[in-house]
Amino acid sequence: MRPVYPRASSYPDFARLVDRDKAQVDRRVFVDKAIYQAELQQIFARAWLFLAHESQIPNPGDFLRTSMGEDDVIVVRQRDKTVKAFLNSCPHRGNRVCMVDAGTRARGFICNYHGWSFGIDGALRGTDGKVYETDETFEKAQIGLTPVAQIDSYKGLIFATFDPQAPSLEDFFGPFTWYLDIMLDNDEGGTEFVGGAIRSIIDCNWKFPAENFVGDILHAFWTHQSGAQAILGGAVDLGKRYDELAFQASVYGHGIESNLDKVGNTRTLGYPELVDYVFDLSEKARDRLGDIRARAIGAISSCTVFPNFSFLPGQNTFRVWHPRGPGKIELVAWTLVNKNAPEHIKELYRKGTMMTFSPGGVFEMDDGENWEYATRVNEGFVTRHQPLHYALGLGTEDAASEMPGHVHRGSLNDANQRLFYTRWAEFMKYDNWTDLQNGETAPPVRRAQAAE
Amino acid sequence: MPDLLNIARPFGDLDRPVDVETEREVTRWLHLEARLLDAERYQEWIDTMIAPDIRYWMPDMDTRRRDDPRGTFRHGESAYFDDSWHELSVRVRRYNEPSAWADNPATRHAHLISNIEVHATDDDGVYAVFSAFTNVRNRNEADQDIVHGRREDVLRRSDGRLKLVRRRIFIVQNILLSKNLNTFF
Amino acid sequence: MMIELCDSGAIRDGEITRVTAPGFPAVAIARHNGALYVFPDRCPHADESLAEGWIEDGRVVCGVHFAEFELGSGEVHNRPVGCPNLSFFRCEDRDGKVFATLAVEA
Ligand code: FES
Ligand code: FES
Ligand SMILES: [Fe+2]
Repeated sequence: MRPVYPRASSYPDFARLVDRDKAQVDRRVFVDKAIYQAELQQIFARAWLFLAHESQIPNPGDFLRTSMGEDDVIVVRQRDKTVKAFLNSCPHRGNRVCMVDAGTRARGFICNYHGWSFGIDGALRGTDGKVYETDETFEKAQIGLTPVAQIDSYKGLIFATFDPQAPSLEDFFGPFTWYLDIMLDNDEGGTEFVGGAIRSIIDCNWKFPAENFVGDILHAFWTHQSGAQAILGGAVDLGKRYDELAFQASVYGHGIESNLDKVGNTRTLGYPELVDYVFDLSEKARDRLGDIRARAIGAISSCTVFPNFSFLPGQNTFRVWHPRGPGKIELVAWTLVNKNAPEHIKELYRKGTMMTFSPGGVFEMDDGENWEYATRVNEGFVTRHQPLHYALGLGTEDAASEMPGHVHRGSLNDANQRLFYTRWAEFMKYDNWTDLQNGETAPPVRRAQAAE
Repeated sequence: MPDLLNIARPFGDLDRPVDVETEREVTRWLHLEARLLDAERYQEWIDTMIAPDIRYWMPDMDTRRRDDPRGTFRHGESAYFDDSWHELSVRVRRYNEPSAWADNPATRHAHLISNIEVHATDDDGVYAVFSAFTNVRNRNEADQDIVHGRREDVLRRSDGRLKLVRRRIFIVQNILLSKNLNTFF
Repeated sequence: MMIELCDSGAIRDGEITRVTAPGFPAVAIARHNGALYVFPDRCPHADESLAEGWIEDGRVVCGVHFAEFELGSGEVHNRPVGCPNLSFFRCEDRDGKVFATLAVEA
């Protein structure tokens, strides 16, 4: 029984729903069932998707359950310290073999239905020898849990893809790693997740939160007025040097928007000690990261790794928006800290994300309803034929920037969101990675080289 | 009784039921609290019912094997609330803002409290209280969220008033089946 | 009757090895803290191979449903429903060869 990795197809009609020239997106991408199924095939069965942080499964047999798209997946640390991931479904009748969120030092996974037993390497260990060993045609060695096609990690974050043809994880990021390092490599010793995860259901299309984190600082002023008042006693402030320093950057649909105010995001967690910690960290990180990135560690900033993995520098919330149908997501959120941070700093991050970016948090509380209604109104047949406006900041491209990717001036801009949907359209249209890695969202340098 | 106030420590089995008068007093206190929360009188709630040294904890529930030593929750890991007075008061301040959009238009609340058991402790005027709750929130036309759970409270009498010093809240959901928690429990 | 199974030097501490003697079902040989143990290579639970399991804290662990059997007494722990204890064959190390009494297999 060999793993079957579904083939990609091509949906040019869906790709056309993103209109680059008019900077408009057709709302059917948020509600249409056929488009959603195409997303599972074209995007979630091909892109590298976030699975876990290495620190969550330190020892052999440590495991957790997550999703890749709607596919249930087990991630488990092997005896040789590598990590494997499998579909959480028994090859016998398909029952889920791992029923729990996580665990430590598992010996294997036994299916509750007929007792088939799989090692932490996914191989079938045995079943019931009284029955199967006497069956001469039964080939135990050929049976196992379906592995992901490729798995790899980048500075502590583990990703996988179901596509054997997908380029390496590094190529999938391209030069976007330069921006990821703001959070993942600002301190020697690396990072870890605080224990546990917060999961919640939001009745919205997965792309709304993903595009929100890819480049929508605009909403903070209106949506999060109340949270900012509660914590800061005033409005969200983009810092004195906004005009000079704020930017958006995008590579292959991954995007980050940032002001370089050093601690604007960290300040919203409400703990002065954390602000001091980030100021120091930013100073120290200049050697590792240079001035620009050192200023971004705690700045007002947000980021999405295409398609559905997002985080906030400075506030340190990391999250995945798992699709659960066109109108529903499961949000899983963790808190990232530097391993070398003092314990009380880690504790303040844990408390800070809880007070801001968790279901009862003063910021997240007001996000969900926006995304739910932005999705739900499109049930209206006429409504969903009205295109949406993504035209803020046309003509702000900063071609002279020395930073990698498509860089735009000003973080109050729809540039990253336009590129996010352009990437979405590329996935809909292209059935192969050569086209996918050389389209409009590819880094400008790469496109220039290809043109020569 | 410092142990009772340790937020990470479960009550276990308590077997010192209080007299009827005290039980009625505590029950009335819990019902008043529910009524204030229903009416979104959060400022009054924190000012008059919450002690300054409050610990208010609501962990998220993991699904774990029965033999997993970690259990379904662990103090110090992720949680919905792990608040002292400072964090609770920040949350209350947000509700006071007219631009708290998830609460404007107003949410309709019902906090139903039951299964109340009141036990005496080694300290006079300090009570260990079990209760269960159903919280219903309804918004706009048809948005409804229901959360069921249990609580372990420590109430302390000072200056003649009972105040909440410790609350552990255990809900029955694993994935929170709501987009937010725009209330207290 | 004692049957010769293999060179005792081939059985390494902490490991379980599968051995077949002509005319008998396969047996498993384990060495733990120097001592040798010989038992059927068939888990008393559901007949899966015990040689494919491992030794942990002085117990043979079946790799299939994780029944654990104490080396020596054979007492079962983490017991799958209906799983009896494991019985061992009498065995000895005679001039560098492992011998065991396979005739009285349980
Ligand atoms: S479905 Fe898993 S053992 Fe039958
Ligand atoms: S076959 Fe050994 S435990 Fe089931
Ligand atoms: Fe937001």
